[in-house]
Amino acid sequence: MFGLLRAGLLAFAILTAVYLLVSLYSRSVRREKLEKAWDSDPDKITADVADREAYIRAGMETYRHGLRRKLIWLVYIIPMVVVLATVYGVNVQ
Amino acid sequence: MWTKIKWAFRIVAAIFVLGFLHYTLPQHDIVRVTGTYNRLTTVGTENAWAYASPDSGTQESSATRDIRFIETAFPDGDVMVYRNEDTGWIWPPYFKYDSSNLQAEAGNLKSDAANPKWVVVTHYGWRLPILSIYPNAVSLREATGPDERIIPWVSGLVIAFLIFAVFMIRRMWAQFWERSVEPVAAEMEETWDGMEARATGLIGRIKAVFSNKRRK
Repeated sequence: MFGLLRAGLLAFAILTAVYLLVSLYSRSVRREKLEKAWDSDPDKITADVADREAYIRAGMETYRHGLRRKLIWLVYIIPMVVVLATVYGVNVQ
Repeated sequence: MWTKIKWAFRIVAAIFVLGFLHYTLPQHDIVRVTGTYNRLTTVGTENAWAYASPDSGTQESSATRDIRFIETAFPDGDVMVYRNEDTGWIWPPYFKYDSSNLQAEAGNLKSDAANPKWVVVTHYGWRLPILSIYPNAVSLREATGPDERIIPWVSGLVIAFLIFAVFMIRRMWAQFWERSVEPVAAEMEETWDGMEARATGLIGRIKAVFSNKRRK
């Protein structure tokens, strides 16, 4: 049982690190996309820097409540499902 | 010279990675079980890596342990001996703890050459007599025949996932570099140019202003 606890803690630590890295990456990609969308719009070339910042802030706010961000929880869920499936497949005849 | 060293390093790294995968990923053999037994086995420092870790149930922290073995024969007459040990909870991640049941199944599937019963053994590991190491049998099932075709889809999935992971790590690293490191480096360069300009007086300062403009 102690082995199970140790494996669980180790997995939790590793998956948390993966979760943080993936969410940082995902946020960064979204911000870059917003920046590029603004910068490539010919109507907005003359617009104010503050407008650009507000646009990006609004886009990031949408991202924060969106589905894509919630999907990062799969980083925890998929390995757990795989482990349970392996335990079942290997040990149950 | 350096390219040669670089390539040697790459080849050694590739051999290690491939060897590691070949050792760890599941493989299938179609064999006939000829015997099952337990044997007190001494595990030394040279081959401990190929046996279960001391806390996974087969034994508790002693150099000699009682290990279950399964003796088998291939259709062409070659033989293979598998060990049958729990894997414990961490590595390799097979989460196997039914060694006793597996041993009973193996005993039940025993057959002789005259009346063969072919069995698919899923296993990982290598048989290296010089190190006294044995592949670990993970599961058994009856085969449809001695030349049943088995698709190794678990290994395929794992390798596909590993390729995906390497691809994602590279993309994440590129994103981090482009968005976090390069802007800071550019800023530092500008500060440096500014300092240089101040040191070289008015003309230098004008030059610095223009070079900054160009960069933006």
